[in-house]
Amino acid sequence: MSAPPSTGVRPLLELRSVSVSFDGFWALNDLNLQLAPGELRAVIGPNGAGKTTFLDVITGKVKPTKGDVFFRGQSLVGTPEHKIARLGIGRKFQTPRVYQNLTPRRNLELAVAKRNGPIELLFGALESKDRDKVQQLLAVVGLEAHAHLPAGGLSHGQKQWLEIAMLVAQDPDLLLVDEPVAGLTDEETHRTADLLKQLSGDHTVLVIEHDMEFIRDLDSQVTVLHEGHVLCEGRMDQVQNDPKVIEVYLGNESDDEASA
Amino acid sequence: MPWVLIVAATLILPVVLPPFRLNLLGRFLSLGIVALGIDLIWGFTGLLSLGQGIFFAIGGYAIGMYLQLDSLEPGQLPEFFGLYGVKELPSFWQPFTSPLFTFLAIWVIPALVAGVLGFLVFRNRIKGVYFSILTQAALLVFFNFFNGQQKLINGTNGLKTDTARIFGELVGSDAMQRWLFWVTVLLVVAAWFLCRWLTSGRFGDALVAIRDDEPRLRFTGYNPTAYKTVVFAVAGAMAGVSGALYTVQSGIVSPQFMAVPFSIEMVIWVAVGGRGTLIGAILGAVLINYAKSLVSEALPETWLFIQGGLFLLVVTALPDGLVGWWRQGGPRQLQAMVGWPPVVPTYPALDLDPAVQAEAAELTPPPAQRAES
Repeated sequence: MSAPPSTGVRPLLELRSVSVSFDGFWALNDLNLQLAPGELRAVIGPNGAGKTTFLDVITGKVKPTKGDVFFRGQSLVGTPEHKIARLGIGRKFQTPRVYQNLTPRRNLELAVAKRNGPIELLFGALESKDRDKVQQLLAVVGLEAHAHLPAGGLSHGQKQWLEIAMLVAQDPDLLLVDEPVAGLTDEETHRTADLLKQLSGDHTVLVIEHDMEFIRDLDSQVTVLHEGHVLCEGRMDQVQNDPKVIEVYLGNESDDEASA
Repeated sequence: MPWVLIVAATLILPVVLPPFRLNLLGRFLSLGIVALGIDLIWGFTGLLSLGQGIFFAIGGYAIGMYLQLDSLEPGQLPEFFGLYGVKELPSFWQPFTSPLFTFLAIWVIPALVAGVLGFLVFRNRIKGVYFSILTQAALLVFFNFFNGQQKLINGTNGLKTDTARIFGELVGSDAMQRWLFWVTVLLVVAAWFLCRWLTSGRFGDALVAIRDDEPRLRFTGYNPTAYKTVVFAVAGAMAGVSGALYTVQSGIVSPQFMAVPFSIEMVIWVAVGGRGTLIGAILGAVLINYAKSLVSEALPETWLFIQGGLFLLVVTALPDGLVGWWRQGGPRQLQAMVGWPPVVPTYPALDLDPAVQAEAAELTPPPAQRAES
């Protein structure tokens, strides 16, 4: 089973006919996907299309029932989560998951540390370039004034941004971003899109989102997932006019109304 | 200031308190060390261990065995061996003739046992209530094993230490007990510093992160197993030191140190004192145990009810324990509740804040106009 070679460059991430079964329910079904280095990719799909499971498989939380995942040509299946993270895959969760009882600064300091064993954390000081980076990120996400208060007290939008900042601090090659703009204002959504676009190029970014305006803002290649496999890939306007996609999204008019 | 008080108290108390009370205080302070360890693993890392008695007892047995051997004439065996017809010292007793080995054994052996046990459990990602049940089961295994080994460690009867001699002085004597009190105070302070060092830096942040959201930390590239194993081993070592100090001050070590209720009580001390506040663990251990001995002297049957009530009170009304309640302004709230609200100092302080003044100056019109209005 060889996926079609999209470009001459070796893909950074490649999923080969990945299937995941939860007690007989196929959350992912023969999923094939390739990401080129530096690419910005949006993944959309109706609820239950398997978007989050797809991230779980890449980050090692869920083991594929069938198929294989390759990162820089190396299989990730069976590798524990923290080792996958150290290889250079970072993840932002659907609902913001920041450490509520730590301050934003300390949240970022945990994320920025590359040498993160117990011994290093006890006896080693944070490198000054890392400390500068934390300071800079706090400024970028506008949390300097809140840097000394527990992150649990931040607003939803601030937590989203803090988590994105943590992801950037981790400096992974591949950023997996799950619904980064849920619950953000239009202005914040726009800024998030700009930030992700900036990050792509140096990093490879994969964004999962429901917000179509945001996806259009990203102006990137779009992959549509449906029932655990790739329905189609292309630019946003191509995808939007694809009859299969229209059927999936609009096939059941009343359902769509309800979810909108 | 608190340090001055502590130093003063350690110097004055041995003079003021009768030897019996001083001995009690020393014992309860030594329990503060095991409580600190529980605070470290439970309050900061979220691992509720109901098996700290294992490590506590190992520390106690280590010093107990040394003291048994140390006061013997050459060629003699500890008395109880005669009862079971044991003619030769069991081989694992041999190293305990060495004071240096014993000094290390008190904390290294419990740390190793905790480290191995912890590693196996944490590697398999057993956590939450399953971890608690597992530690309690391990405690029962150790309890039954120690209980049954008459020929090795005198089984149920345990090892007595108060009639043993150290540096030619009876361990149970008043002078020796005073020294032990001072040693205990020193070690409690040292343990507090150790815990503060562990919890205040980035290592402590990682522990809190494990407690609050372990999978998240994993996806950031951290291996929580390593952290949990280290911190569980440290708590084990502290329990061992605590057990040794408790043994020499209470005069005996027995499998009762590994009784299930005792390990649960340790958790209650921390809960009442304040989880996640180091001083709370020490205060909880000392206060509850002092209360226990006072209440038991006056009304022997009621203590268990009081202890249960305290635990319920903490769980329902003071989730952060006494120290947490104090830090969150509990006393002021109580004052307000009884109809005597304290004067709020916030506003004048706010007015005097230079940052606020600068901002106010920007917002308000020039002073001349303000005077008119």
